[in-house]
Amino acid sequence: MSVTFEEVVKKFGSVVAVDRLNLKIESGEFVVLLGPSGCGKTTSLRMIAGLEEASDGRILIGETCVNGIPPRYRDVAMVFQSYALYPHMTVEENIAYPLRVRKIERAQIAKRVHHVAGLLGINELLRRKPRELSGGQRQRVALARAIVREPRVYLMDEPLSNLDAKLRVQMRGELKRLQYELGTTTVYVTHDQAEAMTLAHRVAIMEGGHLQQFDTPLTIYERPTNKFVAGFIGSPSMNFLEGSIAETERRFSNRDFSLPFDEQKLSRLRGHQRVTLGVRPEDVRIATEEREGSFPAKVYVTELMGNETFVFLKLGEEKIVARTHPDVRLEIEATVWLSFDERKLHFFDAASGKRIEI
Amino acid sequence: MNAERQRTKKSSALGLMKYALLIVAVLAALLPVYWLLTISLKSEVDQFAVPPLWFAFKPTWAHYYETFFVRPFGRYLLTSSIVALTSTALALLIGTLAAYSLARFTLPANLHERISFWIISTRMFPPIVTIVPLFLMMRDLRLLNTLPALIIVYTGFNLPFVVWMMRGFFEELPRDLEEAAMVDGDSRMGALVRVILPLVAPGLAATAIFCLIICWNEFLFALILTQTDSAITMPVGIAGRVTQYEIKWGAMSAAGVVAMIPILVFALAVQRYLVRGLSLGAVKG
Repeated sequence: MSVTFEEVVKKFGSVVAVDRLNLKIESGEFVVLLGPSGCGKTTSLRMIAGLEEASDGRILIGETCVNGIPPRYRDVAMVFQSYALYPHMTVEENIAYPLRVRKIERAQIAKRVHHVAGLLGINELLRRKPRELSGGQRQRVALARAIVREPRVYLMDEPLSNLDAKLRVQMRGELKRLQYELGTTTVYVTHDQAEAMTLAHRVAIMEGGHLQQFDTPLTIYERPTNKFVAGFIGSPSMNFLEGSIAETERRFSNRDFSLPFDEQKLSRLRGHQRVTLGVRPEDVRIATEEREGSFPAKVYVTELMGNETFVFLKLGEEKIVARTHPDVRLEIEATVWLSFDERKLHFFDAASGKRIEI
Repeated sequence: MNAERQRTKKSSALGLMKYALLIVAVLAALLPVYWLLTISLKSEVDQFAVPPLWFAFKPTWAHYYETFFVRPFGRYLLTSSIVALTSTALALLIGTLAAYSLARFTLPANLHERISFWIISTRMFPPIVTIVPLFLMMRDLRLLNTLPALIIVYTGFNLPFVVWMMRGFFEELPRDLEEAAMVDGDSRMGALVRVILPLVAPGLAATAIFCLIICWNEFLFALILTQTDSAITMPVGIAGRVTQYEIKWGAMSAAGVVAMIPILVFALAVQRYLVRGLSLGAVKG
């Protein structure tokens, strides 16, 4: 079932949490709402569930406007960050709860509970109370409780954030597989870009209550719509260098370096006074000898990660990160020569932060 | 080695002191009860013996006989039970719903906080100042010397405490639980009954005991609002043994002993619920 936001506004007193949100989530899609804390992503999710009412605009599930409809009639299931398992009920009673309140007959409930318990591998835990379970097991019970009802939409509010790193990666994979098998529309909130990139068909990036970009993970990575998105996605973050275009010299330059540009780039950048150049760490090349078009920088520190090495460099006053081969060994304060992959440069208007297409 | 010995010496001295204090506390709590019990079983001569007879006296059931068969003390107990149970139930029902609303909903202009404060403020003046207006109101309503009069007054009297105590218990529970229940398909009332109330059961039990004790022991309102045997409660009945010519210590003590029993039994019965910790494991881990 599709989920649509039409000009949705949510205010808490005078604070605008979500500002004129327009979003169409297709049926069967896995969409991740991504953003820093306080960006309005959780509020948006809670508005789909009916736990918050939109101050303005319309929310549709399928073709039905659900504004003003209480949560229980919306036929959505939600997995909470805290799992929100009912502590006084056994695992079995927890999973059965959504069916029990719908007055489904006993035999049918037992059958479905055992089916989802099998699906999630928690058959042995059915008689236990939530407090006797580990974090990962609680997570599975919370998922089972959501799945057992076969709702129109799944809503997940940072469901993996309370798990340890290893388990999180494992459950991430299982969630993706589960959604593939069930084919149910899923809206998933997180501030973890790795979860967003790996899980989502499409990612909606939010900041300050505004939708910044809504696209496939790859598009967002390769063509971020503004400086915020560019800096938010990717680890380590994209390097930003502010400068101006010197038309006559056909160069992008600032205090510390300058890059020659061809005619096509120049024509696109014309009219923008100040320009921010963005370059991802993997598109920064390091050489120990000077070459055509490269410029000098000093090694600030290196971080060996095993499969790769991050080199932090000082380019005049600016800091730049380069992702390099793990074999690269550089002394601190050594001078190296930088160049950028010309095809992978990003340009943003320094004033508005908007992407300038080259 | 030396230091270690010193430390054990110190800790054993502390342990002794702890027990000494505990013994003092237990004696302070239980001696009056013991005294009450013995007086209820002593003949009138033995009651005033100097030095007091702690153990060696000839027990008599005369005071119990007088209390229950000469005077209608059984009836007072029944009245007290009906009044206490009914008003406790009413106060819990109304107060719990009010407390839940005040804990979970925010009203404009911080009204939920103001209302909560106003509710508790009704207990900030001495109850005796309300007694004349209450008497006049009950007279006009023709409720003097009836159980409803006491039930209404006690319910109103206990409501602020119920609201404040239960509000605290509700606020401790994460909102996620009832939100999960509502998304799972339950109404707010259903979520309250099926999810929230079982989790605050210890709080409910504690509040119930509190209300029961207050109603059970209440004297002032009962004295003013009821005078006939058909409506007076146990404390007023006991006080009635202070007569013009004599004070019937034995009968009063016998009545006191019997009056203690129901509350004691109830407290023991709900002791299990008084131990908290049921909601552990609800959130995170």
